[in-house]
Amino acid sequence: MTLCEAEKTFVLHGVEENFRIDGREREDYRPMELETDIVSHAFGSARLRLANTDVLVAVKIEVDTPFPERPFEGKLEFFVDCSANATPDFEGRGGEDVAIEISNTLSAAYHSPKVFDLRKLCILKGRKCWKIFVDILLLECGGNLFDAVSLAVKAALWNTQVPLIRQIDIDGNNVELKVSELSDCQRLDVKTAPVMVTVCKIGEHCIVDPNVAEEQCSVGSIVVSVSENKFSTVLQTGTGSLHSSTLLDCLKLGYKVAQRLDDALWSTLSKIQPTEDVGFLK
Amino acid sequence: MPIDRKRINGPEETVPYNLYTKLNTKSLLQEFDELFCDGKRADNRAPLEHRKIFLKTGVVSQAKGSAYIELGKTKVIVSVFDPREIPNRTDYSLKGEIYCEFNCTKRRLHQQDAEEKQYSAIMKQALESTVCRHEFPNFQVDIYALVLHNDGSPLSAAITAAGVALSHAGVPMYDLIVSATLGIQHNVKFLDPSNTEQRLCDVSISSDGKEDSHGIIVISMLHTHEQISQFYQVGNISLEDITESVKVLETACKDIVPLVQKHLVKHILKTIKNNEDYVILVSS
Amino acid sequence: MAICFPIHMSFRIKVGLRFFKFLNEKCPKKIHIRLAAHRVNTSVAVNQRYPKIYTPGEVITSQNEFMRGHGTYEENGDLKSSVAGVREQVNNLISVRPLKSRYNGEVGDVVVGRITEVQQRRWKVDTNSRLDSVLLLSSVNLPGGELRRRSAEDEHMMRQFLQEGDLISAEVQSVFSDGSLSLHTRSLRYGKLGQGVLVKVFPSLIRRSKTHFHNLPVGASIILGNNGFIWICPTINNAEESVGGFIQNLEEVIPRQERETISRIRNCILALAQSKMMLFDTSVLYAYLRNPLSTPYLNCWYQRRWWTSRY
Repeated sequence: MTLCEAEKTFVLHGVEENFRIDGREREDYRPMELETDIVSHAFGSARLRLANTDVLVAVKIEVDTPFPERPFEGKLEFFVDCSANATPDFEGRGGEDVAIEISNTLSAAYHSPKVFDLRKLCILKGRKCWKIFVDILLLECGGNLFDAVSLAVKAALWNTQVPLIRQIDIDGNNVELKVSELSDCQRLDVKTAPVMVTVCKIGEHCIVDPNVAEEQCSVGSIVVSVSENKFSTVLQTGTGSLHSSTLLDCLKLGYKVAQRLDDALWSTLSKIQPTEDVGFLK
Repeated sequence: MPIDRKRINGPEETVPYNLYTKLNTKSLLQEFDELFCDGKRADNRAPLEHRKIFLKTGVVSQAKGSAYIELGKTKVIVSVFDPREIPNRTDYSLKGEIYCEFNCTKRRLHQQDAEEKQYSAIMKQALESTVCRHEFPNFQVDIYALVLHNDGSPLSAAITAAGVALSHAGVPMYDLIVSATLGIQHNVKFLDPSNTEQRLCDVSISSDGKEDSHGIIVISMLHTHEQISQFYQVGNISLEDITESVKVLETACKDIVPLVQKHLVKHILKTIKNNEDYVILVSS
Repeated sequence: MAICFPIHMSFRIKVGLRFFKFLNEKCPKKIHIRLAAHRVNTSVAVNQRYPKIYTPGEVITSQNEFMRGHGTYEENGDLKSSVAGVREQVNNLISVRPLKSRYNGEVGDVVVGRITEVQQRRWKVDTNSRLDSVLLLSSVNLPGGELRRRSAEDEHMMRQFLQEGDLISAEVQSVFSDGSLSLHTRSLRYGKLGQGVLVKVFPSLIRRSKTHFHNLPVGASIILGNNGFIWICPTINNAEESVGGFIQNLEEVIPRQERETISRIRNCILALAQSKMMLFDTSVLYAYLRNPLSTPYLNCWYQRRWWTSRY
């Protein structure tokens, strides 16, 4: 979709006026919809819909051998699948660039042990650990992918049940694990898991949660990933460049909004009842 | 991803033997103290001191432009090839594209892995805002970076060298682009970190739940426009630390610019001088 | 398929309020993440009779005195449906109208379209129909007189008049045999659109009426394109600016008040479209007037003022 100059001007003036085309202010988000535990064969799952962006995240767990250089740590892997259902552009290898960008940003955001402690996933030093696969499926693309994906990933990890280890038998090189039933599991600690906010610069101002038209008007944006009160990763996307003071303003705005976004996510997660399932059909 | 078995028959990954030795029992804090004591780093640098930079252009004779850079032991070659038409494209794009490939030689397969792809994306984003892309509608400029030896800050080295290589290739640019890296650990900022420093900045070493920042920041700057064309950060860093780091990195970039400028001028003077010899030869 | 039979206006209003109830609960500045279980059902046809919905391949009638219209085909003497939709009959002509379809153009329709390509003596226009429509250079009013010969210079200037991405309002002049449309803008009402917002809805939701250009009394103009593209802009002052030109005023800053009205109409139209309500001037205006919360992020004082001044 391309916009004409007059439409862009309208969007631009709206951002200056702090009144965007859908009536939002610069720091406002569109309403979102969240649902957890909707993939029955996964250990944890979540689906998040933000306007027209729809993301499904499923978490699977496996027993694996730790990396030799990090024997005390488990593994966490992200994989993004851009379904051609989202846009026909993703057909074939079309979505590969987007997928790699998102999965790399996610692994950078979860990289620090203060954000997500992989040591909790260790079962037996140097021998056995949990490996978590986070599979992200983009069902629909309506802009602002990073924010939606990070929220959905956090919700899915929150929903994930890690089996408890009952007993470990070591016999030479063989390690046998006795694992608890699925009804008796432990939740992952995701209090510090990061939330990403895309800060988009339009004209002289920065906005969050741009829709497709606003994304067209912007020269560049910054993806800020915040965990608790620190930045876990910052990435500049788009083709533009920024003055350092603008950059810092963007970071401040992203930080502020990420706190609110995190609060909103937690209050929603706390409202989840165990037996409420809606699924795709409603 | 399928692996081309015919090209390389090596193992998929190798593990250094010393990981299994009992000597490797130092805690991270001890390692840190060894690296940084009395305000000096392992190679006798002050925390905010950049390593010596060596630059050379025209190292790859078949490329349109090329540059070789050394930051201490980090060695990177960048070559730039002529703009060519974007293959397999039907729609008309007003602006040209930049294609970057970033190669790292840490016992890896010849195919790009995710980290290299990430680095090339960052490099592409950094360079896109400096090249006058409107002059290449429907064209792409190929830039290849090869890291010969990685001793920290390879991405910065590659971006700085790419800027030099682009100007050597005569690609129109708005501005010179330079880049610098900064590592933060335990309230100390390391400008231009070496590989061991970078590895230490990657993890959190204070185990007692202190609120220390740790991480790595890479920025690339357009000098005269005072614009940041790329900002990339990993780790866990507070806003105050980022603000300070940006200032440090800006001054570091400002210090690198005259070096690059001087080198480019010197290179051209040298070319002219060689040409003069040539002219004299022809006329005589 | 609530669109296909009239719903009494009071019912519309009730539905609208129910739809906006969940927006009411949020205060500005708070990010709202709703659980899927708390979703509000916005369907309006809950208590209503559904008309019969035909599915592809279903026999509509086996009597052969009827004529075959759009969305139907004939097989073994039976008239069958080729789309999922409701039956429409005009005398002997039976057609099946689907809810979601691309726009089927008819001569005289008002459309809003976006230029996709500039070609020899013609523009290609995206009008949400199956094929791109064409706008010939000879069917636009060029600056400097209506009945002017098109010179070679005009051909070279085509991109100055309309370029890729520009929005226009136009009328369907003729329909080609392959179904693509030929447009014209030979009236001062039509032409390049200036600052405003485009909203896309299903074409079947737009009710055909005598005029599709409306100056709403609340301070905004809308063009309800038959093709499902709706243009909302500040009130067009016919005395000053004629739309039929190719000039866009990019300097003009639209004041906050008008901006609020435009956003609110936009949200109302989207809400109506989501509930599959027919769109025409009265329905949009009613939705606008009855739903002071339709711009969900307005400040509270503004909302209060709305309630007190109107009701």
